[in-house]
Amino acid sequence: MASIALKTFTGLRQASPENHHSISLQKAVALPSQTHRRIQIIAGKTSPKITGRNLRVAVIGGGPAGGAAAETLAKGGIETYLIERKLDNCKPCGGAIPLCMVGEFDLPLDIIDRKVTKMKMISPSNVAVDIGQTLKPHEYIGMVRREVLDAYLRDRAADIGATVINGLFLKMDMPTSENQPYVLHYTCYNAKTGGAGEKRTLEVDAVIGADGANSRIAKSINAGDYEYAIAFQERIKIPDDKMKYYENLAEMYVGDDVSPDFYGWVFPKCDHVAVGTGTVTHKGDIKKFQLATRLRARDKILGGKIIRVEAHPIPEHPRPRRLFGRVTLVGDAAGYVTKCSGEGIYFAAKSGRMCAEAIVEGSENGKRMVEERDLRNYLEKWDKTYWPTYKVLDVLQKVFYRSNPAREAFVEMCADEYVQKMTFDSYLYKKVVPGNPLDDLKLAVNTIGSLVRANALRKEMDKMSV
Amino acid sequence: MSMALFSSPPTHLPTISPQPPAKTLFTHKAYLSLRTQNRLLLVSTRATDSGSGVAGSTVVVEEEKLQQKVSEAPVSGSDPKSESLEDSLGSNGSPAATGAQEAKFVTKFEDPRWVGGTWDLTQFQKDGKTNWDAVIDAEVKRRKWLEDVPESSSNDDPVVFDTSIIPWWAWVKRFHLPEAERLNGRAAMIGFFMAYFVDSLTGVGLVDQMGNFFCKTLLFVSVVGVLLIRKNEDIENLKRLVDETTFYDKQWQATWQDETPSSSKKN
Repeated sequence: MASIALKTFTGLRQASPENHHSISLQKAVALPSQTHRRIQIIAGKTSPKITGRNLRVAVIGGGPAGGAAAETLAKGGIETYLIERKLDNCKPCGGAIPLCMVGEFDLPLDIIDRKVTKMKMISPSNVAVDIGQTLKPHEYIGMVRREVLDAYLRDRAADIGATVINGLFLKMDMPTSENQPYVLHYTCYNAKTGGAGEKRTLEVDAVIGADGANSRIAKSINAGDYEYAIAFQERIKIPDDKMKYYENLAEMYVGDDVSPDFYGWVFPKCDHVAVGTGTVTHKGDIKKFQLATRLRARDKILGGKIIRVEAHPIPEHPRPRRLFGRVTLVGDAAGYVTKCSGEGIYFAAKSGRMCAEAIVEGSENGKRMVEERDLRNYLEKWDKTYWPTYKVLDVLQKVFYRSNPAREAFVEMCADEYVQKMTFDSYLYKKVVPGNPLDDLKLAVNTIGSLVRANALRKEMDKMSV
Repeated sequence: MSMALFSSPPTHLPTISPQPPAKTLFTHKAYLSLRTQNRLLLVSTRATDSGSGVAGSTVVVEEEKLQQKVSEAPVSGSDPKSESLEDSLGSNGSPAATGAQEAKFVTKFEDPRWVGGTWDLTQFQKDGKTNWDAVIDAEVKRRKWLEDVPESSSNDDPVVFDTSIIPWWAWVKRFHLPEAERLNGRAAMIGFFMAYFVDSLTGVGLVDQMGNFFCKTLLFVSVVGVLLIRKNEDIENLKRLVDETTFYDKQWQATWQDETPSSSKKN
């Protein structure tokens, strides 16, 4: 169903609903030497043939990125090893996936706990706006539990032929000469080794680092650091009558009290809600923001019990280096999380798949050695496809999460049906669809109006406190 | 991570004690009295100017005072109310908080003109018309209050007030006109001196300048400049804005910039 709907969204538009024309300009700057690289790719096919075996690739990390990469690799005839330390890992994560992911990754509907069809945005002055009225009957945002989704993707990779290893990656020996294998050192855990584990090594021709924000692969290739946001989340079991309200509804709270540069959320989970908030700039105050988020949602979660407290880092931008030799990074390890919405599952899985596709193509289904330029092919395709999305969300965050008046204007803007349609279309299908220029113009005027009004009020507020 | 069971969330914020409301209350008062004085002054000068209608102006003054009092009342009124709420909830042994270590503190913005989640415009009537200035004042006060004492959102009592119901001319009158005078003055001065200098340097007269492309460009630049740079800090702000918008691009491009070093290292 989803894939049918997908076909209607073909055009790519670089501008956001707000008409940020600068974006298209900067995009052109971002990829200057495109033609130059294309020549290199053709040259990649000259790499030596592998005899007696197929190309061996190790995927470190068994999250959505690793699972999707391993599946595609195995399907492409490559000898795949997936190393994951905790196979039942329940990663702290919002767990929202867009509709197109269900179709593209062929996910069964029973791993989706909840189908969110309504969103509520609540401004600093408590103006609540319902978004999602424009959703068509079959459209929804899926809420999954990470342990379920990760396990499903991993199992599917294993079924196709990937070797899943329960182990902890320790370090990697770089090849000393060209086309030599990488030697991975890891501690293997299984029924025989018990809790202590057993040290082992593995020789592979290429490595995909999908091991998250604290990536060891990234460290071993000197990928550099990224700025990260800390997200704090409490899972709260609330009474059934209150849960009814959150059955298919998610809430977003914005305001300086909740987070100076992000938002606070209440997301429905399988039988409880997740209440949380995040910030980049004031990490030390995260507890205070969490209290404020709970306060803002107080009436709706009254009588709830906290069953779990979790915190995790969210990358703010890609690492300075995402590729070195035949080692490349995908998902959170690379830093593919959007600003503004903080979404990463879909992008992780997608980057894993795209990277694996590049390897399969470059190695001609495992028959040839891959080279750096094959992997660079993936990076180039990734940046070309998703850079506009990331940039739009970055601009949105910078404009609308800046201050309370900006947030008021943001919420006012979201009351507009056209905005809702555009937001949901681009969220659910991950394509920026062409809008109606007249509506875009109207929207721009309205938004500027909202911003001006909110800032005028702000000025008066400042006068009051002086 | 431990799966410790905590007692229920809501919610004692140590920062939200009765103190801040009291403080803001004080500032409200100071502000209000200031404004009243302003208006008094204005009205009285107008009265002397016109000579007639002295009686009428005094009536206006009284009205203004009355209104100020009304708007002052709710703010001071809400304070005791919140305390009493706190008391009652505390003594009840708050219904939800299972642990209930701390007494709950509930504040809510209260104002007689704030009815059903919006400003009751009938109470802002003046001479048969809505006094939008007062609406803006009231909303400013509400937002200020909420910033100091964030309030939990509620579905039973939604906020429906939307600033777009205030007509555009009310905003322009209040926020733009005082500024516009200065901007116009600046633009005129710059225009005059530009014309003077161009004339003295090139000998092209004012009328001829109008037909000249270069001079038109200069004119455009100065108008945009006057609009964008209103204070000295604005230059700094603009610079920062440009840096900020290109920062994310640089972070993304970092991968491509090290293309040559990394590929050379490979060999």
